[in-house]
Amino acid sequence: MLPKSLKKIKDRLAFLMNVGLDYLALSRSSKSLSGGEAQRIRLATQIGSQLVGVLYILDEPSIGLHQRDNDKLIHSLEQLRDIGNSVIVVEHDKDMIERADYVIDIGPKAGKYGGEIISKGTPAEILAAHTITAMYMNGEMKIEVPKKRREGNGKFLKLTGATGNNLKNVSIELPLGKMICVTGVSGSGKSTLINETLYPILNAYYFNGVKIPKPYKKIEGLEHIDKVIDIDQSPIGRTPRSNPATYTEVFTEIRNLFTMTSESMIRGYKAGRFSFNVKGGRCETCEGSGVRTIEMNFLPDVYVECETCQGKRFNRETLEIRYKGKSISNVLNMTVDEAVPFFENIPKIYRKVKTIQDVGLGYITLGQQSTTLSGGEAQRIKLAGELSKKDTGNTFYILDEPTTGLHFEDIRVLMEVINKLVDKGNTILIIEHNMDVIKLADYIIDIGPEGGKGGGQLVAKGTPEEIIKNKKSYTAQFLKKELL
Amino acid sequence: MLDKDNTIDVQGARVHNLKNIDISIPREKLVVITGLSGSGKSSLAFDTIYAEGQRRYVETFSAYARQFLGGLERPDVDKIDGLSPVIAIEQKTTSKSPRSTVGTITEIYDFLRLLYARGADAYSYNTGEKMVSYSDEQIKDLIIQDFIGKRINILAPVIRARKGHYAELFQQITKQGFLKVRVNGGIQDLVSGMKLDRYKTHDIEIVVDRMLIENTPDNEKRLSESINTAMHHGENVLMVLDQDTDEVRYFSRNLMCPTTGISYQNPEPNLFSFNSPKGACDHCNGLGTVNEINIKKIIPNPKLSIKNGGFAPLGEYKSSWIFKQLEIIGEKYGFKLTDAVESISEEAMEMILNGGKEKFVVNSTALGVAREYKIDFEGISHFIKNQHDESGSTTIKRWAAAFMDEIKCPVCEGSRLKKEAMFFKINEKSITELCDMDISDLTAWFLDLDHHLSDKQKRIASEVIKEN
Repeated sequence: MLPKSLKKIKDRLAFLMNVGLDYLALSRSSKSLSGGEAQRIRLATQIGSQLVGVLYILDEPSIGLHQRDNDKLIHSLEQLRDIGNSVIVVEHDKDMIERADYVIDIGPKAGKYGGEIISKGTPAEILAAHTITAMYMNGEMKIEVPKKRREGNGKFLKLTGATGNNLKNVSIELPLGKMICVTGVSGSGKSTLINETLYPILNAYYFNGVKIPKPYKKIEGLEHIDKVIDIDQSPIGRTPRSNPATYTEVFTEIRNLFTMTSESMIRGYKAGRFSFNVKGGRCETCEGSGVRTIEMNFLPDVYVECETCQGKRFNRETLEIRYKGKSISNVLNMTVDEAVPFFENIPKIYRKVKTIQDVGLGYITLGQQSTTLSGGEAQRIKLAGELSKKDTGNTFYILDEPTTGLHFEDIRVLMEVINKLVDKGNTILIIEHNMDVIKLADYIIDIGPEGGKGGGQLVAKGTPEEIIKNKKSYTAQFLKKELL
Repeated sequence: MLDKDNTIDVQGARVHNLKNIDISIPREKLVVITGLSGSGKSSLAFDTIYAEGQRRYVETFSAYARQFLGGLERPDVDKIDGLSPVIAIEQKTTSKSPRSTVGTITEIYDFLRLLYARGADAYSYNTGEKMVSYSDEQIKDLIIQDFIGKRINILAPVIRARKGHYAELFQQITKQGFLKVRVNGGIQDLVSGMKLDRYKTHDIEIVVDRMLIENTPDNEKRLSESINTAMHHGENVLMVLDQDTDEVRYFSRNLMCPTTGISYQNPEPNLFSFNSPKGACDHCNGLGTVNEINIKKIIPNPKLSIKNGGFAPLGEYKSSWIFKQLEIIGEKYGFKLTDAVESISEEAMEMILNGGKEKFVVNSTALGVAREYKIDFEGISHFIKNQHDESGSTTIKRWAAAFMDEIKCPVCEGSRLKKEAMFFKINEKSITELCDMDISDLTAWFLDLDHHLSDKQKRIASEVIKEN
């Protein structure tokens, strides 16, 4: 008979395999795990606990997972259900929706235009309803595959002989002026190649970055681009004083606008008057934060609305200044969708708020605290910030899984923005698993074929149409379904 | 399809942007909530259902326990019926600690440690030979051979790196007639009411005998008896403490290297833990990496002179003590602050980077007098390293870290463990080697293992289960 401790080890290993983490090693430091990987490890541990009668709630477990491993994941969730648990998953993935027992569709739009149940029932019932989700699911609406792929500008960025982590002497040619997608199953080495080799090289070259790239032999073609911008999902600010308006610098313009109102001129108010971060115009009771923190020993801090300004963050004199009838505090509480028509006549502000709307964030308010934004939202704010800058037309953007947390409709909107950037001559490199994004790429680089040791090779490259002819590539198999 | 008795009923949810919604969610089913981002999916799943489940769970605690947990606010919802215990599996990375690995968060590593502590074969790190166990007779002969003419203490280890105050243990030892114990390396007389700091880890050995080793039958008999007693109390391990050199040697009925005589302590699971002082590599403290100064970061451009910021940590010339010191070093080694860093002699660089103390005399030609200079320079490298290791300020630490590279620990080669730990092997693999395999290979290795375990190992490994 086998010792039980061996059995326990084997069981746990099997659970990890089942959620598609076969490429990880036990010695892998947990801080280097992606959010999705950490979540799947927890999922594996939960399945192992064999509890019954529990309600599990999961937030987008399919993030960062290649289509190939998605099946395994759904299977693990079904297992969890079959032993007698309830499982609720917040998810956009088509396969997951189709295999669910019951689906709840919330909408119809985001923010204050959402929050209602627009359809519920079995997947079949959901499909019959006339909602955006249903239309994408049954193909009535879809992200169109472009008829023509971009030609690019004929210049290349060449990276030769990358050998970091599991990479096996990979050499890639990145055609500039195109939208490039780097794909591959989890753990195949995409991130090592792009985030740990290519980006540090470029960053060191253009901005004197200090991070040391993983080993490589040669890089050519650096002269063809002006700068590199990495747009990741790290939060845009960790203090409650940071918000989308301050991050995109649109708040500076708004403050300048307020100083130009006649009342403000008469009183001689400067831009600082309209900032909640410096003395002068802000409410001094709460020092501009709108809430007062009451420290309670042993208990978490309690936040109460500031009684002096009623959460408006500014003092009475400042709030008397109005532009088109709105005070600075009213403006901060506006959603981006409201701000766009409001600032229509002020080009500097209009351009910036419009780009935030363009990336699908029309529902957030200008003054929403950065700490309450999700990773996907933070990434799109950054994207908006970059978009609103005057681009050089020669910039190299790197985006790591920009579709995280996005619904089909959001993806369509996002891809429109990205396409605009490429059309201006910039190069965009996207690391992505989502087929709706991959099928839009002008050029695909597929790393693999497997994760971990079985990966690290260049499996396929070329346009989507060329890729699907490749027999070895897993991406090709799934991409084929999308293109036909 | 909805059976009224088997649903979670949410009524009047108004959290965030939810518009007073009512929904029945079937239990024991796979339910997907979908919608545009920002539409309120998470508000329903996490901020309503999970928050309420969590709140009810906390409510079950005593008022005393709740004051530490903090009161959870009631989500803005009229009623939720049929809620079971809720576990949320979110996207947050579990831990940012450098000590946390996939092995530790899945707890597989804990089982592996147990398995290795009980079921692994030990190999000598000197010769690579398999460790063998000795009989008492053999141990006696070895002691006589190695310690003849020396005064030794024979110790029986009873506590190895464990926490506790051990008042009862000391009482028990006293009752058994022993007079002295060795606690954390120091021999003490047993006194009544003795106890230790319960929150620290301790090593405790009973002093079984103090004797001078001679080759006489009497002496031999006494030694035999002492070995027997020590083995009894020390669970098959005894320690011989050389009174002159204060060196300790382990003798064990279990594991000893036949050639060089080194013996390992009986493996405890914490020998394989890089988070315990017993198992962690001493050089990197179980992190697997150490920070080393990177000269290239200190001197990013050797063509620059010191004055123009050739040494990046110092910046450009300012009238400060450190530049005065460099000037003096320059006097001694014959360079000026305006010389390119690459032209400075190796000797001088050694002084600048690693520091030193020196006195020397320079004859000033202009004044015709000799001046004495004193150099007492810590060295730039040393300074940065000290700041990094000891500074209490995170800003300074970050500054210092900018000139350092994180490299694999040269002692444990990234394995995080002590040398001994790596010489316990199952089927020719050490615990580190297993951890470096990816999970699919590891699964295959374990499937293959059944054929390779000896009967003894299987038996030992099944003992492990009883402890759990």
